Amino acid sequence: MTETATGTRIGLATECLSKSFGGVTAVDGASVQFHHGKVNALIGPNGSGKTTFFNCVTGMIKPDSGRATYLGDDITGKASHRIARAGIGRSFQLCRVFPRMTVMENMLVAVRSTSLRHLAAPARSTAEVDRARELLSRVGIDHLENSEARDISYGQQKLLELAGVLMADPETIMLDEPAGGVNPALIDRIATLVRDLNAEGKTFLIVEHNMDLVMSLSDHVVVFDRGRQICEGPPSVVQSDPRVLEAYLGI
Amino acid sequence: MLTKGMGLLVLAAAVLAFPSLAPDPFILSVGVVIMSYAVLATSWNFVGGFTGYISLGHASYSGLGAYGTALLVIHTGINPWVAMILGGLGVAVLAVPIGIASLRVRGASFVIVSIAMVLILLLVFQSWGEVTGGSNGLRVPRPFDESVLRPEQHERFFYLHAALLAVALLVWWAIDRSRFGTGLKAIREDEDKAQSLGVPTFNYKLTAFVISAFFTALGGGMYALWFGFLDPIFQFSILVGSYMVLMSLLGGIRSLLGPFLGAVIVGYAVEFFKNQYGDTQFHLVAMGLLLGVVVLFMPDGIIPAVSQLIDRFRPQAASIREVSAGELAEQRRTASGPGASTAADPATDDESTDRLSEGVQR
Repeated sequence: MTETATGTRIGLATECLSKSFGGVTAVDGASVQFHHGKVNALIGPNGSGKTTFFNCVTGMIKPDSGRATYLGDDITGKASHRIARAGIGRSFQLCRVFPRMTVMENMLVAVRSTSLRHLAAPARSTAEVDRARELLSRVGIDHLENSEARDISYGQQKLLELAGVLMADPETIMLDEPAGGVNPALIDRIATLVRDLNAEGKTFLIVEHNMDLVMSLSDHVVVFDRGRQICEGPPSVVQSDPRVLEAYLGI
Repeated sequence: MLTKGMGLLVLAAAVLAFPSLAPDPFILSVGVVIMSYAVLATSWNFVGGFTGYISLGHASYSGLGAYGTALLVIHTGINPWVAMILGGLGVAVLAVPIGIASLRVRGASFVIVSIAMVLILLLVFQSWGEVTGGSNGLRVPRPFDESVLRPEQHERFFYLHAALLAVALLVWWAIDRSRFGTGLKAIREDEDKAQSLGVPTFNYKLTAFVISAFFTALGGGMYALWFGFLDPIFQFSILVGSYMVLMSLLGGIRSLLGPFLGAVIVGYAVEFFKNQYGDTQFHLVAMGLLLGVVVLFMPDGIIPAVSQLIDRFRPQAASIREVSAGELAEQRRTASGPGASTAADPATDDESTDRLSEGVQR
């Protein structure tokens, strides 16, 4: 049921998803399919509904109508912590960390507890702290583990947010503008991370305006305009599609 | 760690020695009032400090605990301490639906709901005279028999309040370091973000709220047994709830001992101003000014402000310079070798030294 004709597995998908705010229809009957195990990109001009689409899918806001599914399971309108537990992690457009908690505490928030006893136990267990350190060193901020998150730079906060999402060990990672507001060296680092993690089996869904990054990184690109998909396909196809050029570049 | 332990020992010794150092029963009774405030403020801080939901109406739960305890003792004649605990449990059960209703809203709306709760209870307890005694008040039977004189009562209640405070502090401390506490603090910092990381935020908030109501009710019940008289206008007063908030903010809501410290300062100040300017209501003006000063100059409270001052004299925090992907790969390669984490790499020299100094601290 989650296979397409070409044999690609469909992870996250939506059918006729709509959401309007007052008179503005931000997402307008969007039917989209993302490929599981691949790096997917979602692009489109500002105000085309990408972030609202993200928020609807991850349960931050409830869609007015339509369906969202993940690996065939209905996740429409579920609370965001349930969607997170189903295996979808996300970052935010304006990077969000827990400012007055240390970098290590930020990481430990994402640890799942299934029993009361686990919940009442000290947060700093050796195994979890070690795993957090490993992830922090992977993104390159392990030397900051005792700093408060509000004291580190914006780029480092972005890396911390990414590491925090990874701490929850999601299968699918949704990144909302990972390259927004960071310098080229850091963009390069984030791209390397995405490639490595994808090679380890993580699925990515990236909203991004940096076209070089999108085209070099992704396997599958979905283009949004006015709240719905206007085009999809591999980067080479999307890049030359006249509808995309018109909507996105205004040519 | 050692200095913290020593500090706690000194604090505990000071609290335990207070009754024998107090010059007269009046000062001792002020001590009891302060300890009662400390219990209430610490109990408030289970919600305020962990989740950041500022309830101005926690007098609801201390008042319900007080009346619950008193009515149980009067009507069933059970042991007053059992009545106090039953009162606390009853309020905890009541706090579940109240929490479900009020924790749906955040920020100012939550504050207003909490105030509305106190005002409703005030009217109910004033009007329902045949049960609560209404505005005439309710006399609470004493838990100790007639042979125990006033000063002796004060001393016993001072220690009882201190014991209750110790239990509340212990539970707060345990939550603070637990996974549950980490989730609660994440809610305080950014609730939506916490939920997107998989924290079931509503259940967490509700649990903290119920624990807070339970301890607040125990504090109210113990106060009722000590003071021996309840009047709705003082039990369900916005002022009592505001004191809990003021004390906690003053001391520092993110610190274990913040509310206790705030209770000592505010409690002493209130009693001092009442004593000196009792007829003029000047204590209310003074409290208002104090709250203004705290919000403007020490929004985090005294304990964080002082510890930040001390931190200035410590070695500075790690560098926040960023490294490129290549440098990072290089770092990780060297770090994977034995003892290589301290090997200096010219490109990342400053960071390596930071690691070294952190290693020493650990």
